[in-house]
Order: sequence, then structure tokens, then C-alpha cells
Amino acid sequence: MSTLTLNLICKLDNFTLKINQSLDLNGITGIYGHSGCGKSTLLRIIAGLNNHAVGQLSFNSVTLQNSTLPNNTVPNNTFPHNKSHHDNNLKNKAIFIPPQKRNFSLVFQDNRLFPHLNVRENLIFAAKRCNNSQLKLDDVIKLTRLSPLANKPVTTLSGGEQQRVALARAILAEPKLLLLDEPLSALDQKSKTNILQLLKQIQKQLNIPMLYVSHSLDELQQIADNLMVLSQGEVINFGAIHQVIHQLNYQSASQTNNQADNQANYQQTSLSLPIKMDKEHALNNHGLATLCMDDGQEIYLPSQIMPSQIIPSQLLPSKSLHETINNKADNKVENEAENTKLTLRCFILASDISLCKTASNNSSIVNHLVGVISKIRITDHNVLVTINCAEQEFFASISSFSLDRLALKPEQTIYMQFKASAVRTFIY
Amino acid sequence: MPTMDADLLALLTTLKVAGLTTLILLIIGTPLAWFLAKMNSRFKVIIEAIVALPLILPPTVLGFYLLLAFSPQYLPGQLWQQATGQQLAFSFSAIIIGSVLYSLPFVVQPLQKAFEQLGDNLLEAGAVLGAGPIDGFFHIVLPLTKASFITAASLGFAHTVGEFGVVLMIGGNIPGETRVLSIALFDHVEAFNYTKAHLLAGGLLIGSMILLALIYLINYTPKQVRR
Repeated sequence: MSTLTLNLICKLDNFTLKINQSLDLNGITGIYGHSGCGKSTLLRIIAGLNNHAVGQLSFNSVTLQNSTLPNNTVPNNTFPHNKSHHDNNLKNKAIFIPPQKRNFSLVFQDNRLFPHLNVRENLIFAAKRCNNSQLKLDDVIKLTRLSPLANKPVTTLSGGEQQRVALARAILAEPKLLLLDEPLSALDQKSKTNILQLLKQIQKQLNIPMLYVSHSLDELQQIADNLMVLSQGEVINFGAIHQVIHQLNYQSASQTNNQADNQANYQQTSLSLPIKMDKEHALNNHGLATLCMDDGQEIYLPSQIMPSQIIPSQLLPSKSLHETINNKADNKVENEAENTKLTLRCFILASDISLCKTASNNSSIVNHLVGVISKIRITDHNVLVTINCAEQEFFASISSFSLDRLALKPEQTIYMQFKASAVRTFIY
Repeated sequence: MPTMDADLLALLTTLKVAGLTTLILLIIGTPLAWFLAKMNSRFKVIIEAIVALPLILPPTVLGFYLLLAFSPQYLPGQLWQQATGQQLAFSFSAIIIGSVLYSLPFVVQPLQKAFEQLGDNLLEAGAVLGAGPIDGFFHIVLPLTKASFITAASLGFAHTVGEFGVVLMIGGNIPGETRVLSIALFDHVEAFNYTKAHLLAGGLLIGSMILLALIYLINYTPKQVRR
């Protein structure tokens, strides 16, 4: 487990980025926030590409930057701009490890491939500068499916292909931490899905901790293990992905006036559940697959969104790469266990779940779950009901009219109904 | 035959001056252009104006001030004399210094423009992959601005070959040292020796033409057809 410790201040145009956080980097950590909330700046500070920030930054207790904060108590709006700028330049000389010595790769939004080099040469550029490289160039080319493109000029590739090259290049630097700055934002839906799958696979095989910046909660929900939410330059949430997304439900409900928030965060139930393998075939005739809740209740969903169809078998790792990785990775057993027990990440919009006081079995709606109401939050005429079902929170939004009619109260047992097609993933 | 030798000597002197000037200009012009491209300060325009000055200034003006500066009465000339024991004015070194100043914008401007156009993005991409500034310059910047380097070197060279006023003011007309082609041509015209003048003038014209055509040929890339 790697740890990144941040205690930084960076003056931006409209606000000040202020981060005081220790991040345990396990798997993929998402950084979520709206455009211009400072998340890309944060990533650039970590990479060492921003020299305006002041404060401390360390990775696994190795100090990367140490310049004393001018004054911790200075309020945002009176931050002396010119003076601090000057101070930074002086104080940054204390400790500032330049980006080329940090061994963090950064995948940029705009791929930034070297146009004078072809695909293979771009990859070699990174591999050559990697000190004790363990990965083989050809294995990474295979993993990222770049073999047919290896000798092409990068300028002739499509956006998705270019981003795959950028990803392969970043991996070949064998970073201690891989930083991803909205790597999918310029891509079409299909390329996004491909790259997301690839990222998951890379994470699983190479065990590189990743920091993934995005303004798309959908993307992060599919890929991140932990989530940090930034707003106006400050961390407002940090924790396990599903928990943080559920916390956002309340935040967006209480900020209905904030249009940007409303558009981006739909109130939803975010789930990560095991796929029931044995029953899958039986139900497949109807095009449905089954997820299993802790207490044995089942959720049916369209089987075409299952990952088995998205990861074709040829994408599975080549042998030599696998060996290299297993030497590096200490959780070999866990990897194997994960292969036999596939989990699916999905979400259900709160507006897609309806509530019913009695069990009904004569409906075309296939999903019926029983749970207990834990919280009722009323905002204007919208009601967000939180239901506890098998240690899992579900969120349903209903009208205040229905709330009155059904006379719902906390601690009440309730039946949730939703169609199979209401269970969604980011992967189409 | 001795006159032919004099013209040949002038040609050799010219090539020597232009070649050495171009080399010096690339060595000092590249960091200067880089510095200007990355500079973010009001003083930038002042430096840019100084660099561009030879573009509009009559060469004789530059030559006049350099002549004064190089003479033993003034500090630069004095220092030179103390250091080398020789007079700076009317020497080969004097015309090299004069040429470097005179051709500076022809080297710095194309390079500065190329560096500005390239921006920092690819260098940042290189840095996060472990390429420091020097590594990045030689493996990212240089290959991507090669055409501008060729242009800068060729323009610097051609412009130095074509200079007259500065050399006349500070170099005089010493065969084998400061007598360059343009001055030899001037002498022939003064002496009504039009045959020889034609030879030199025509030679310079065709030579410059070929050089410029070569630069454009190197920089020529066929338009990519979009498919």
C-alpha cells in the first residue's frame, strides 16, 4: 500500500486550492469534481509540473516537495497574490523534486504523444528512461493491443488508439504511481469503454496505484475503488467509492439550486455485487443475468451488460507478462480468487426505484427487494428515501404526494421494485 | 592571375566569416531564443527589440558604433588589446563580432518562433516519463524544430555573406583577413572593372538563389491528403 500525503495551498484564478489529506493509494483512487474545481491542478502538483503550490508533499514518506506555507491562517480572499508568488519561488528551493525524478507517470487528456516518433518509438522513449525495467516492451504492446499499430506514425491514429499508446507509454515508465488526467474526455463511447476495461486490467495485473481525475461520476463509478470529491479547491469527501457516491446523493439533494451539481450527480444506488454464475445460463434464455445480495435476495439485469462479453479471452494476459507481474504483486492469491468470483459494478437511479408497502408478484417488474427505511429526506416536493437492504443502502426518490399517501416512516419495512433495465452500468 | 587569386581569397574569407558566424550564432542564439520563448516578463519586449534592431538599422550605423567601441580609445577595444595584444578594429575578429550582431535576428527569430509554437506540453510529457530538460531538448525539441534550425542557420549564413556596411566600417579592406566578396565587388565597380564585377555579382546571385532554394526544399512537406 502506498501513501500520498498532501498539505498544500495553491492560489488559482477564482479560489485557492487547499488540500490537507493523506491518501492511502490502494487500487484506483478517483478524484471527482466539476470543471475548474482544481482537480487537474492537484494532479499537476503531484506530478511536479506546477511550481506555484506551497506546502508539503510526500509519497511513502519520501518528501517530494517541502516549502513552508506562508501562513496557514490567511483567508482565501486576502491571500497576497504577488507576494506569495515571489515567496513560493524562493521557498520551493527548499525541496522540490523535479517531475523527471518522481517516477510518477501522467496520462494527459490530450495524449501528448511525440509526433516525430512512431508508436513503437514513443513506447521506447519511456522504456529507455526507466531505470530498472521489468516489463517487456512487446508484452505491454500486446496487453494494450497495439501490435498492428506499432510501426504507424502516431498522427495517423484515432483518438482512442492514441490514448491507448499514451497509456502504454505511461506504463512502460513503470511508475510508482500512475496519474490519469481525464484520459477519456476526448473519446467516443466505445473507446471509453475499451480504455476503462484496459485500465482495470492493468491495475489488476501490474498492481500500480492510480489517481484518476474525472468530472464524470459514471467513469469513476466503474473503475475507482476510492473516491475523493473536490469542490472549490477543497476536499469535501473521501472514502470507499460506493459510500462516497451515496453521500453525494444527500449533497446534491440539499443543493438543488446548484444547477451544475444537479446535472452531474443523479441520485443513485451504487452497487458492486457478485454475479451468480450457476443460474446465469438458465436465465440467459431470457437475456437476464443475476446478481446476488448478501442475504440471498437477487437482482436481475440484462445480461448484455455483463463484463464477460466485454473482455474477450484474447485480452487475458500473455504468460510472460503474467509471470513478471506475479513476481511483483504480492496478492497473487487474491487475483485468482477474483477470477473465479466476478463482481459487477452497477447503479440504479433513485428515480427508477418505486416503493410498495406490500409484496406484489403479479407485475412485469422483475426486481423486488425487501428492506427497511432508514432515512427520509424531503427537499421541496422531492423525497429521497434511504432503504437498508442486506447491509446495502438503496435510494429511491418519490414525490411528496406518494410519501403522504403511503405514510412512510423510518424503521418501516418496504418493498422496492425496479425493472431489470433500470440496472445500469457505464459499459454499453 | 594574381587578381583572380585575390577574388578567390575574398571568397574563402567570406565563407570563413559566414561559417564561423553561423556556428557562433547557433551556440548563443539557441539559448537566447529559448529564454525569450519561455520568458514571461515586460523586459522581454526590450530584449526582443534589441535583437531585432539590425533588421531596420542601416548597417553603417551599427558599423560606426562598433568601430568606436573596437578602437583602443574605448573600453571594449582596450580590454581586447590587453587580452590579446592586438588591435580589435580592422581585424578578422572584429568582423566576426560585427557579423554575429548583424545576423542575430535571422537566427534568433525563427528559433524563438519555433520554440513558442512547440510549447511546454510535450516537454511536460517527457518530464513525467523521466526526461529532464537537457534530455528533453535533444530528444523532443531538437527533432521537432529541426526545420527551423536549418532555416535559422541558412538565413544567418546567407545574410552574413551578403553584408557590406558593417564589414566596411569595422573591417577595412585587408586581403585574406577582412576583404570579403561584397567589398571585392565594390572595388571592381569603383575601378570600372565590370567583367570581374559581373563574375562576383553573378556568382553571389546564383549562389544565394541555390542556397535559398535548398532551404525551402528541405522545409517543403507535401500537403497531406485527408482520407
